[in-house]
Amino acid sequence: MQKRWAHLKNANYLLAGLIVIGLAIAPAWLGDYAKHIVILSLYYVIMAASWNLLAGYTGQFSLAHQSFAALGGYASGLLILYFKVPLVVGFLAAIVTTMLTGYFLGRLVLKMRGIYLAVATWAFSESFRLTIAAAYTYTRGDQGLPVPPLFQSLNPIWYYYLFLALTVVLLLVMYLVLKSPIGSFLRAIKDDELAAMALGVDTVKWKLFIMTFASTIAGIAGFFYAHYIVILSPVMLSFNEIGKIVIMVVFGGLGTFVGPLIGAPVIVILSELMRDLAEWNMVFYSLCVIVIMRTYREGIASLARRVLERFGMRRKIALANDKPTP
Amino acid sequence: MTITPELLLNFTIAGLMIGVLYALMALGITFIYSIMKMINWAMGEFYMLGSYVQWALVVFLLGADYWFVGIIGSMILVFVVGLIVQRVLISPMFTSGMERRDEYGTVVTIALSLFLRNLMTVLSGPDTRTPGRFLPPVTLGTLPVSGDRFAAFVGALLLIFLFYLLLNYTWVGMAFKASSQNRVGVQTAGINILRIDQAAFAIGVMLAAAAGALLAPVFLVYPSNGAIATVKGFEIIIIGGMGSIPGAVLGAIALGLTESLGSVFISSGLRDVFGFVLLIIILLIKPTGLFGERERLS
Repeated sequence: MQKRWAHLKNANYLLAGLIVIGLAIAPAWLGDYAKHIVILSLYYVIMAASWNLLAGYTGQFSLAHQSFAALGGYASGLLILYFKVPLVVGFLAAIVTTMLTGYFLGRLVLKMRGIYLAVATWAFSESFRLTIAAAYTYTRGDQGLPVPPLFQSLNPIWYYYLFLALTVVLLLVMYLVLKSPIGSFLRAIKDDELAAMALGVDTVKWKLFIMTFASTIAGIAGFFYAHYIVILSPVMLSFNEIGKIVIMVVFGGLGTFVGPLIGAPVIVILSELMRDLAEWNMVFYSLCVIVIMRTYREGIASLARRVLERFGMRRKIALANDKPTP
Repeated sequence: MTITPELLLNFTIAGLMIGVLYALMALGITFIYSIMKMINWAMGEFYMLGSYVQWALVVFLLGADYWFVGIIGSMILVFVVGLIVQRVLISPMFTSGMERRDEYGTVVTIALSLFLRNLMTVLSGPDTRTPGRFLPPVTLGTLPVSGDRFAAFVGALLLIFLFYLLLNYTWVGMAFKASSQNRVGVQTAGINILRIDQAAFAIGVMLAAAAGALLAPVFLVYPSNGAIATVKGFEIIIIGGMGSIPGAVLGAIALGLTESLGSVFISSGLRDVFGFVLLIIILLIKPTGLFGERERLS
């Protein structure tokens, strides 16, 4: 049993490495539009994976995650527009504001559990959206805030590699956090907070930590995304946006590491391929989520693994049977 | 703009009127929460369904003179939809031995909300529709009010009163209250809790549909018109405390007044922000809301 798992793990590392290498050499064959789709997928991979840390691993069902991406973008965009600061300062501002706001929100919802937390974080993101829309004299509201691009050249190849590197680094950091004892603390909090507390897990500390951590990651992703699409509007804060992230994670598998990595690209690519169908897309995805929740709650990733495992096991049994009995 | 007592009175009346309509929405959410301990994120979509049914009935079948029949019709129809949705999507929370009910309830109703909203956009297009005006304007004191808005106010008051009677003076109402206090206890008394759940969900979404149908001529009919109704409903239940019926009514009136008076004294552009400021302040002082009870750990 132990050995088979170790074997599977090595295969996973190998697969991850191959995918990264594949993505690194892919631009040679990809057009600008295809590159754009990959960039979009990578952005949503970061968002979905970091939201999964909150909802999937810690049981903090936050509905404010998209607002941190927007916050990162707006913090940098506003500073650059009004104070003409260099991009690096904008980047640092994005990190600091999302970190502080994440900590503040974490404090606010610390005592809340389950549904209360979902509603309170939702209230936070809605009030943030309304404030941005209402303060249109500064933020230009629905007209959109212009944000300078990161590179002078219009070629998306630079953004492509930037997002690829960003995704790899951030996923690696998240993976290491989850592998460390912190990952076990978070899972313990999700399973039974009271029991975790009784066993000496500092639940306050780790809940605050994960909220701040995930928010900062969303802020970094939002900063780069904002400077890629070069215009920011309150649409980025809408409930649809977090709905999309929830769909991606549930589709791939809530509380699994690979879940968001599969769910996000699948949903982004499907939406782009079937652009003409417009709203039918969302009808279809939300129906999928309902079916997944009703039937196989662990999501596509887990289903695929189980099928592979069974397949692997069958083969082994077959091999064992083929051996001539002494 | 100078502020005269008369103006103040007018805005207080306007605030009260909209507050009562908010209350209808909030009552549905809080009622469902009190029985099943779940939040229905698709509440606004039931409001939307109610307004669409009212529009369709008035335009194609009844004509503007019989608009009140349309309201009853849309309430009945959405009640039935609620029964079916609860049976198919919500009851597995309790029958299939699920571990993470909160997570399931939240994800499924968020998906349901996206599903209904986008399905309606596909089916009827994103156009804004109106069932027309039913009633001539009326004057309350010195405040001119559109007749439909006044009718919606009266209708909402009537429904809240009926809901109050149902809850306090009927056997079913007692069963609802008992279920909200102790789900196991009512079962030992021989009440079928699954039936109670189903009825509670259907009544809750029916109240939202009633709000949608009553407000169809005022706030118009389009696929995402439930979003603002959901926002107000959730604000109110956080302010009033989740699961508390008096909290929902008082919270709704408080919100209506805050918005109305805030737009006089401060700025009408920030109208939608006031509710959230009130909400964040309440959360900081008393995280369970004005009438909310402290949640028990585990």
